Amino acid sequence: MRRTTPDARPTTADISGDPQAADADADRTPPGEALRRLVDPRSLRWKIAAGVAAAACAMAVGIGVLVHQTTETRSMSIGRGTALRELEVAEFEFRDGRSASRNPSEPPGYAIGDEVPDGLRHRLASEPGPLTWYDTSKPLQGPFMWAASRVDGTDLAVRMDMGAEKRSLQALDRHIRYAAVATLAVVVPLALLAAELVLRRLRRVAGTARRIRNGALDARTASRGHDEISEISSAVDHMADALQERLRGEQRFTADVAHELRTPLAGLVTSASLLPESEATDLVQDRVRVLRALVDDLLEISRLDAGAERADAQPVPLGEVVTECVRRTGVDTRITVVGDPTVETDPRRVDRIVTNLVLNAHRHGGPPVEVTVDATTGAAVTVVVRDHGPGFPADLLDHGPQRFRTGAAERGHGHGLGLTIALGQAHVIGARVTLTNAEPHGAVATLSLPRRHT
Amino acid sequence: MPQPHSEPAGRPAPQEGSPAAPVRILLIEDDDAIRKSVGMALERYGYEVAAAPDGLTGLEMFRDGAYDLLLVDVMLPHLDGIGLSYRVRETSQAHLLMMSARGDALDVVAGLEAGADDYIVKPVDTTVLVARIRTLLRRATFTAHATADAPAPDDGGLLTFRNLSVDTRGLEVRTDGRLLALTPTELRLLLEFVAAPGIVLERQTLLRKVWDYGWEGDSRVVDLTVQRLRKKIGADHIETVRGFGYKFRR
Repeated sequence: MRRTTPDARPTTADISGDPQAADADADRTPPGEALRRLVDPRSLRWKIAAGVAAAACAMAVGIGVLVHQTTETRSMSIGRGTALRELEVAEFEFRDGRSASRNPSEPPGYAIGDEVPDGLRHRLASEPGPLTWYDTSKPLQGPFMWAASRVDGTDLAVRMDMGAEKRSLQALDRHIRYAAVATLAVVVPLALLAAELVLRRLRRVAGTARRIRNGALDARTASRGHDEISEISSAVDHMADALQERLRGEQRFTADVAHELRTPLAGLVTSASLLPESEATDLVQDRVRVLRALVDDLLEISRLDAGAERADAQPVPLGEVVTECVRRTGVDTRITVVGDPTVETDPRRVDRIVTNLVLNAHRHGGPPVEVTVDATTGAAVTVVVRDHGPGFPADLLDHGPQRFRTGAAERGHGHGLGLTIALGQAHVIGARVTLTNAEPHGAVATLSLPRRHT
Repeated sequence: MPQPHSEPAGRPAPQEGSPAAPVRILLIEDDDAIRKSVGMALERYGYEVAAAPDGLTGLEMFRDGAYDLLLVDVMLPHLDGIGLSYRVRETSQAHLLMMSARGDALDVVAGLEAGADDYIVKPVDTTVLVARIRTLLRRATFTAHATADAPAPDDGGLLTFRNLSVDTRGLEVRTDGRLLALTPTELRLLLEFVAAPGIVLERQTLLRKVWDYGWEGDSRVVDLTVQRLRKKIGADHIETVRGFGYKFRR
């Protein structure tokens, strides 16, 4: 077998133009794709979730700070009041001197003189009090609330342990944090879920637009409701309606033109065959043939465009079909058949495709034209048509065949519909046509047929 | 060369090129240019051509004269090609070739259901048209299938399958002793079947043997002719093998 495919350049136009496969893509994304979309940080889903989380956090912080401060203020004022009451008791005791009620072995419940912290003593010097001071200078022993006053020239102070208050405040902060986290744990998934409902509708709109792009002109979002997404959906639907109407109109026009041309052409074809033999007759008959091929191709394209074509599949010995088909084209072509290429397909459509590819290779490529039917490469049977001309133009590889844009305008051959028809017929039988250029030169058209028709 | 199930006149269909009696073709086509040019082209090939511009005129001409082959356009004024075919088939088993300008699937199916032997899409090359006509006019022949258990006709050339008997020499087909009116194409198809009973015949094989088409042929022609044949000989003789073709039951 000749090496045909391996030396093909990577410049490939894979123009199977398979709208149905694309439909499937749009409707059912493969698991990997769905996962990729789920973890994509740019997704609206995560933006919504982040926004909701931020809002919830801000709210929790606001409430937390407010509650913290209120509670702190309240416990401080209670502590201050208690300390002042204790100071009154201490003043009383101090004035009483050695009170009978007091056990002398016990130290007094207050501090005097040097025992009073310096800061308090300074303040007492300017203001006799009673005054209070919240002391956090000894964190290990906990904060204290001091109450002090100057009694008979002596600084007198009591201190209250505020540790319990501080701890309960810390516990309150902790609970607020827990509550915030618990709220986030509920709110964020709920937000994701709510976002998902919205996103799903948006994705459906996008999927519909993609299907329309891929040729499923009657795809519609069919969405109900009156919100903004429904508005987008119905806008897409209306756009598709308008597009479809226009396309249909143009397709109808093409079909009508071809139909209308056919009857006078039929008379012309037979009339031309009646002319006496001469050079002029040859010219007329040649032009009539070209005109006829053009009208036939136009009709075929309009039928393919209308999507009315159905494959008539049966077991087909591909080698035999291709050989017969190439022979009927009447052009010099080498045929190689490798393996046992029996496929379930529509032989008439294969015939059309191969005829068009071979004639195209002869018109626009260079000899020798080689056709290889290969049943040894995996699941699909391939028919490779290779020529040794200049190859497909880059524009064709990039954008696929364009109607009436022929690669040989200067030569006046062909009208640029052959490849379009080949691709359209391939789509009908579930096959694909791949166009590549070979090294060092030459065009390679590969028709891949699945062994079983689906 | 007798054609046993020809039109009521029982007129023998002469072979092509036979100087004594040329093949008579009735061309029914409404477009003047096509009618005239096709008529002239066919006359060049030695056929005797009569032409009608619409269905009703065509039907009258057909009933008045004896024609071997009808070449009928589908779209006709007054009585279209499909309706005309049904009327013709009520009384005649003449060859019927449908010309369809539309190439529309429905036209083709309706035409073949109505009893057309084959169809041809306009515009048509004269050579292709003549090749089609020659194929249709070919005489039905019986060639036993080259297998060990192929059926051998008895001394009278008679093959019998339950209630169906096929005279492979006289080309007569009877069910329960009643003579059937088969078109020549149906008869050729039946002969292919009875030559290989119990063997699956691919549609493509039948298309090649009976209609002389290669892979470019339309296998619906086979399907619809088999349907018509079943209606005549009884549905249970020919079995459909899905995806492959047909099998004749012993």
